[in-house]
This record gives sequence, structure tokens and C-alpha cells, in this order.
Amino acid sequence: MSVTLPAPSAMDRVVGVLRRSPTFAIGFAILLFYAALAAFADLLAPLPPTLSFPYETLKPPGTGQFILGTDGNGMDVLSRTIYGARYAFGIAVPAGIIMVVVGIPLGLLAGWKGGWLDEVLLRVLDVLRAFPTIILAMAVVAAMGPGFLNVILVIGFLDSPIFARIVRAEVLALRNATFVRAAVAAGNPEWRVLLVHILPNVILGATAQLPLRMAWAVRISATLAFIGIGVQAPAPEWGAMIRQGAEYVISGEWWVALFPGLALIGMVLGLNLAGDGLSDLLDPKRRASGK
Amino acid sequence: MTVARFLARRLLVAIPVALGILFVAFMLIRVGDQDPVAMLAGPMADAPMLDRIRAELMLDQPLLTQFWAYIQRAAQGDLGMSWQGNAAVTHEIAEHLPATLELVTLAVGLGTLIGVPIGLHAAQRPNGWFDQFSRFGSLFGFSLPTYWLGLMAIFVFFFLLGWAPAPMGRISMMVTPPDPVTGSVLIDSLLARNWEAAWSAASQLVLPVGCFTLVATAPIIKQTRAIAIEVMGSDYIRYARACGFPPRVIRRIAMRAALVPVLTFIGAEFTSLLAAASLIEFVFAWGGLGHWGLNAILLGDFAAVQGYVLTLAIASVLVFILVDLAVLLLEPRAQARG
Repeated sequence: MSVTLPAPSAMDRVVGVLRRSPTFAIGFAILLFYAALAAFADLLAPLPPTLSFPYETLKPPGTGQFILGTDGNGMDVLSRTIYGARYAFGIAVPAGIIMVVVGIPLGLLAGWKGGWLDEVLLRVLDVLRAFPTIILAMAVVAAMGPGFLNVILVIGFLDSPIFARIVRAEVLALRNATFVRAAVAAGNPEWRVLLVHILPNVILGATAQLPLRMAWAVRISATLAFIGIGVQAPAPEWGAMIRQGAEYVISGEWWVALFPGLALIGMVLGLNLAGDGLSDLLDPKRRASGK
Repeated sequence: MTVARFLARRLLVAIPVALGILFVAFMLIRVGDQDPVAMLAGPMADAPMLDRIRAELMLDQPLLTQFWAYIQRAAQGDLGMSWQGNAAVTHEIAEHLPATLELVTLAVGLGTLIGVPIGLHAAQRPNGWFDQFSRFGSLFGFSLPTYWLGLMAIFVFFFLLGWAPAPMGRISMMVTPPDPVTGSVLIDSLLARNWEAAWSAASQLVLPVGCFTLVATAPIIKQTRAIAIEVMGSDYIRYARACGFPPRVIRRIAMRAALVPVLTFIGAEFTSLLAAASLIEFVFAWGGLGHWGLNAILLGDFAAVQGYVLTLAIASVLVFILVDLAVLLLEPRAQARG
């Protein structure tokens, strides 16, 4: 006679994960909030983000219909801050996809084949590690010209070697594992060993890095906009908004720079918390100890 | 293994990396669609004049020829002319570097003094309340944009409270600056016993250093904690515990073991902050190397960007060598390994 336990429902598993890592839970909740802002910006924002009221410039928060005030162009700060979430996701998600799509295959191949590909990858990593990425990103975007697409491409490609390094290290550790050698001995073609036997074992480690790297992407895209070479005002991008607000801070109009900055910090913090919690959840050592 | 041989070997390893960095910077700035010649010559220039300038700067040559010529001249200490300042790049770098070093050294120093004890303490009881608290704090620090923090500090402490001086450079315009000796305005005015200038320089430093320290401390806390936890779980600490040493002694053994990786990390942190300084300098009109390099990038000033990147690369190599030397002195095992 066998006793069948009810299989844990998807809901139970989600709750279990959230309870095991409160850090992840908080980060995830923050991200959900930002996702909602981005998705329903049209409904949530009281005014269109680039609608200008020429006679209502630099009104402090609480003036009439402007809950968070207006900027130097007479645009509503609250609406622009809400729409900023679209730019943040619009840059972080495609950049994240580039990192994964370029970095993981590169790391798989470099770790498996070794040889010149591995050598080249390691040298590129050396240069990237010694080269401050922020300066590299600024120089590339400055050279390619400002624009949404350029920012995504630069961030995505600059960060993909980091994924390649993580995957490469895990592939090296697995190369001589019994199950891999068995798969090779059984006559599997190389691509099948890589995709079916190795990839599922290395992908978790890379996944935990993704939110952290996306946090970096959101930060760096705002930085680029702040120094004036990323997304350009009057587009409602947080960095560009802080840049607009910078000139008013010294004369006391604090709200133009404050609110987009808070929004930026919240989103980056959410991604960092989620990434930090995720790497704890996926760390086999901690999983085994039941924490 | 003598120290001299160690240094020679380190330099040999560093040269290809530095060349690689320089090559990337060199190519990057040239593949863009900025035309420096038109900018340099001004709107009145005609086609033959543009061609002449182009030939003078070797911009009509193949890229690899240009790179080779640049390397040859750089080896003789000639990094070309900066167009924005109309001066030799080496001169501009020497003029701007001390201001950035002053800022970064203070921020990393304070960050170490604050971050290392917090990280060590958090590692004493992983997942305890202090650990959770410091973990959240350091993640928060990771998420702060320096430039925004600087702007808010200017609003609160300059505009609202009037405690800080105007965020315009390194010394008040009302005060006669001291003769440059070290390049750090604070140290120079102390050396000259010019107390008024010293006070002004110190008060200009407070806000940028404060903001920068907050950002510098976060990674130091996180890394120190991770290193300390790993050390506390190691075999030799377990052995020391089994031997019945009191906790105070065990902490001392663990701290010594954690010292080397923490030191290495702080070295890496120093070089990355040297680059990140450009943003805080931008906000506080600091006029250091970062501010100068950022302007060079924005204006497409080729020679200056290359000089800036080269300076950062050399600084990072020097810091790593210094850290390695310190490790060599601290840890006999490293000497034995060679």
C-alpha cells in the first residue's frame, strides 16, 4: 500500500521560496510594483509625460494638478517619473537578453573546447577587468552617438563576457564529471552533450547573476543619460530627468531631481535584493543545510 | 625570490593588458562618427586646410599605423596635445591627477575604516539581526547613484542649511590658494601654514568625500563579510576551536587570514573608484582628472581620452603591484610560492 502525498501546488512552492529568502521576496515585490508602473503608465500617470505647460514651469509639489510639481519645461514630474519605469525596463530587459544570448553560448564553447577561443575570452576578460566599465561605456556611447538602441547594445555586449566567465568556470568543473563522460561514451554528438547534459547544470548559476547585472544596466543607462550621452531629454528617462534637475538644485528647486532619483534607487535596489536573494536560494550549500 | 624579480615579473604581465586597454580606447574613439578636425579648425576652415590638419595629426593614415606611431611617441613620454585645453596631455594629467587622488584616497580610506569593522562584525553571526541590517545597508549603498546623492547633499547642506560652501571646485574663490607642492590643496596649505586656505580646502572636501565614502563603503562591507564568513568556516579555525582557544584568540587568527583577500579587494576598489570619481567631480565642479577625462570623452578630444585611459590603466597596475607587495610582506606563504 502506498501513500500518495498531494503534490505541492505552484502556489505553495512560490510561498516556500518567498519564506526561505525574505531578501528575494522584498526585491521581487519591489520589481512587481515597478512592472505595474511600466505596464499601466497610461492609466496611472495623471498627465502625458511630455505635455508642456509653458506658464507653469518649476511649480513646487502640490501646486494645482501637479502632485510632485513641474520641471523647467512645465512638464509634470509625477507623470514623467512613472513613465521612466518604461525606459528602465526597456533598457534592462533587452540588455539582459543580449548578455544571456551572447554570454552563455560563449562560455559553454570556451569551457568545453578550450584552445584559442578560451584564450581570447580570458584575455578579453583581463582587459575588461582592468578597464573601468563605466569609462568604456561612456566612450563607446559617445563614439556611437546618443540613442536608445546604442545604449542597449553597449550595455548588453559589455556585460556578456561576465556571463561567459561564470558559465565557463562551471563547464570546466563539469567536463570530467561521470555523467558527462558517460554521455560522450554513449556516442552523443558534442552539441547534444553541451545542450542537454551540461547546459541545464550551469544555467542556474548564471540566472542568479541576471538581476544583479540588470541592476547595473539600469544604473549605467541612467548615468549615461545624466552626463548627456544616453537617452535625451525631454524623453522621460530618470537619468535625463536628474540632469534637467541638476541646474535647479543650487537655486532650491529640489523636486525636479529628487523624485526620478528616488525611483531609480528603488528599482536598482529591487533588482539587487532579488539577485542577492536568488543567489542564496540557488546556492546548493545553503539549500542542503535547509536554510 | 627577491622583491626586484617579483616586480619585474609583475610589470611584464601588466604590459600586454595595458596595451590592450590602450588599443581598445584608441580604436573606439576613432570608429565613431565624430570629426575632430572640423571641430578643431572651426567653421571658417576650407577643404585644403582640413586636409592639412588631418595630415599633421596623421588622421589620414591607416588606424594601425596611427596606433604604432602613438605607442612610439608614448614610450618617449609624449602623449600628444589636448585640444580642449590646448596643452600637452602629460601636462594636463599631471595638473589634474592630484585633485582626484585626494578625493579617492580619502573616500577609500574612510570606507575601509567604516566598512571593514562592519563586515567583520556581521560575519560573527551570519543572518543575525546585525548581518541582515548591514546587508540591506550595503545593497542600498550599491543602488545609490553618486551624482544624485551629490546633488541632494548640495541642496540640503548648501542651499537649505548653508553649512557647506558653494560646490565650485576645491577652494573658495575668495581665498588665495597656496603654491602647489603636492597638488593637494589641503596638504599644500597646511605645508604653507596658510590656515585660512586649509580651512577652505577642508570644507570644500567634506560633501564630495562624504557622498563618495557612502558609495565606497557598500562593496567593502559586502566583500569583507563574505571573506570573513569563509575564513570562520575553514578547517584551521575549526581546529583552533577544537583546541579550545578563547573566542578572542580565534578572532585574531581569523582576522589575520582575512586581511590578505580584503586588502586585495580594496586595491581593486581603489582603481574602480578612480574612474567613478568622474561623476562626483562633475557634480561638484572639482576639476580633477575624472572631470577632465569626462569632458574629453564628451568633446571627442582623442589624445586626452587616450591619455586618461592610459593613466587609469597605469594606476590600476601600480595599485595591484603595491597590494601584491604588501601581501608578500604579510604572508610568508606567498614568498615561498614565489
